[in-house]
Amino acid sequence: MSRALGSKPESARRRWPLATAATAAAASLLLAACGSASESGHGPTGTGGTGGTSVTAWIVTTGPSPANTVINQAVSAFEASHPGDHITVDYIENQSYKQKIQLAMGAGNPPTIFWTWGGGPLKQYIDAGDVQSLGNPGWAASFLPSSLGAVTFNGQLYGVPIEGTQPVYFFYNKTIFRKAGLTFPATWAGLLSAVQTLKSHGYAPISLAEGDQWPGLMYLEYLTDRIGGPSAFSAIQSGKPGAWSSPAVIQALTDIQQLVRAGAFQKGYDSLKFSGGGSDALVYSGRAAIQLMGDWDISQMLGLNKSFVTAGSLGMAPFPGVPGGQGNPSDLTGNTASYVSIASHATAKQKSVAEAFLQDALATTSYAKSSVSAGEVPVIKGASGFFSGQQLASYDQTIYSSVESAPSFQYSWDQALNPSEATTMLTNLAQVFELSQSPQKFASTMNSQQGAS
Amino acid sequence: MRLADLIGLTPALTLFGLFILLPLLAAFVLSFFRWNGLGTPHWAGGANWVQFAHDPVAATSLVVTAKVVALSWAVQTPLSLALGLFTAGHQRYRAVYAAFYVLPLLLSTAGIALMWEALLDPNFGGLAGLSHSLNLGFLQQNWLGNANLALYVIVAVIAWQFIPFHTLLYQMGRRQIPGVLYEAATLDGASGWQLFWRVTLPQLRYTIATSSTLMVVGALTYFDIIYIMTDGGPGYTTRMLSLDMYQSAFQQDQFGYASVLAVVLGVLGVGIALLLIRFTGFASMESQQEGAA
Repeated sequence: MSRALGSKPESARRRWPLATAATAAAASLLLAACGSASESGHGPTGTGGTGGTSVTAWIVTTGPSPANTVINQAVSAFEASHPGDHITVDYIENQSYKQKIQLAMGAGNPPTIFWTWGGGPLKQYIDAGDVQSLGNPGWAASFLPSSLGAVTFNGQLYGVPIEGTQPVYFFYNKTIFRKAGLTFPATWAGLLSAVQTLKSHGYAPISLAEGDQWPGLMYLEYLTDRIGGPSAFSAIQSGKPGAWSSPAVIQALTDIQQLVRAGAFQKGYDSLKFSGGGSDALVYSGRAAIQLMGDWDISQMLGLNKSFVTAGSLGMAPFPGVPGGQGNPSDLTGNTASYVSIASHATAKQKSVAEAFLQDALATTSYAKSSVSAGEVPVIKGASGFFSGQQLASYDQTIYSSVESAPSFQYSWDQALNPSEATTMLTNLAQVFELSQSPQKFASTMNSQQGAS
Repeated sequence: MRLADLIGLTPALTLFGLFILLPLLAAFVLSFFRWNGLGTPHWAGGANWVQFAHDPVAATSLVVTAKVVALSWAVQTPLSLALGLFTAGHQRYRAVYAAFYVLPLLLSTAGIALMWEALLDPNFGGLAGLSHSLNLGFLQQNWLGNANLALYVIVAVIAWQFIPFHTLLYQMGRRQIPGVLYEAATLDGASGWQLFWRVTLPQLRYTIATSSTLMVVGALTYFDIIYIMTDGGPGYTTRMLSLDMYQSAFQQDQFGYASVLAVVLGVLGVGIALLLIRFTGFASMESQQEGAA
């Protein structure tokens, strides 16, 4: 994620992969068709010298950003130190990427290096034999361990972080909290009573963009962790029969509905979308006090209402703990990082160039340092000293420390599960938020979906 | 059939076969496979079809589709007819109105959807603003988030988009009715209402058939406004079959099951179109104006 350093608002910042469905299927089909025709990955286009190897990389972007510059610099430096080898980076728009890569994989014609958010979709490619294993390399130890879970399967590494970590926090309007005489609560019960106080002061307590469906999932992810610990979801992920109706999940869903019944969310929460900036506007305009969001919200807020962020009005707090629950209140959920993987379809030479790039260019402290200058929070070990002087240093520092010290960092469920189970989960969870589905009904629907693909 | 006929038919048949029959057939074949878009499809027999028969989401989306089709027709036809007859007159002020009525035709569907989404936003939207300034409480609704309301809002926005087109159809239809019919009826002592029921409506029969067929088949496969405004929500309340198909294929990676939905949609579309043509006598198109002109 690239915090826009005073650049244009990156309103399409949202990188919630599953939710980033393409705007037009037909258009991206066309894109994919054109793309794969010209980027077969085998051609000698741009071969630098004799015996050189050309490699294509597909990188997701939401528009020209400092993050792209960092990647370009890494590529140039790599090419300089590996004469003859050439990496062509194609930046692909966030929304259309998922279908484009799916079609390219299906056609057996992907780029050598491809962008991934890890988890269920990457697992699908691995199962289909499309992804090159990186084995168990020693250099992987330079990353924070929690950051590689999304790309590690059967003890093998399948990807390397290329862009920063995106954990989820509560963001809140400090001015509203001051007026209501509140500090951000550290427990779930405290949050419920803060909701009442905020309501009595005439604010919508929490801004929720449930029209996009993934924002509500963040509540379920955190509550399940706080109540049942990380094992509650790992049982679901490993397909343990009936895992969806574990007491932790049922309690989390019940707590969500309690929040809804308490009137915690603004009017129309079930149709508001994050991408339009409406849920942020509620917070910075002083109508709603709180929003649970990935850390990309900081850069989006900065783009939408710069003074709100620079004046220090945007508070950030971890998800409250649930006393008596088994989860550690320092546990995180969100996108652990964005990654690149290597397609097995590439030639042996291309693969070795790609592996060298991943190891020599991306898995390095110098790459992490330059990504910090682009506003990212890298997942490399020992980066806490990198942030001073950055515009959002205090946020970045907090984020890095919390990732560094988190006992568990669960990557987003909609990415962890296979796409079929994930979409069913999102739609049914939205109904839980509308109170039109009971926790038990949700659990039984999801139990029956297990293993569907 | 002569050789020349065959040669003449070839381009049309080739295009039809390549872009309509072949994909349809491919979808039908694919509906018997399990395939997530990667690797080789696996033979699944009738499993996808059995899944369809037991899928509550598919059943819901069929009902939603039927509602959208029926409501779209019921809302758009009378309004288009009324506006079409109104703008068929040659008075200048009517021409000015007509220019305003066709404005939605100039906007792209995505633009229309985003505009209405912004207008209907319960916090910052235009309607919410109106409700504050004019004290009209009923405008303060959760238009797209209320499960009892969202479908009707969608039908209304679809109508807003397509009524101008059908208005044009009716305007042209009305203008083609020979004036002598009205003169004759008036001489026979027909009132304004009788002119409408006895002359205008019967003469517009084929316009109604054309317009209705376009409306019904169009609504059956309707996608974009719903995709942008509600994405099928809240819950499954606005998830039409076309959207269900799209999500099965491109979000759930179930291309086999999505093909079942595609086949169902295709058969429904062709079937309804054939029925409409048959029952409206559209295919025969015999003139009803013998001796009139």
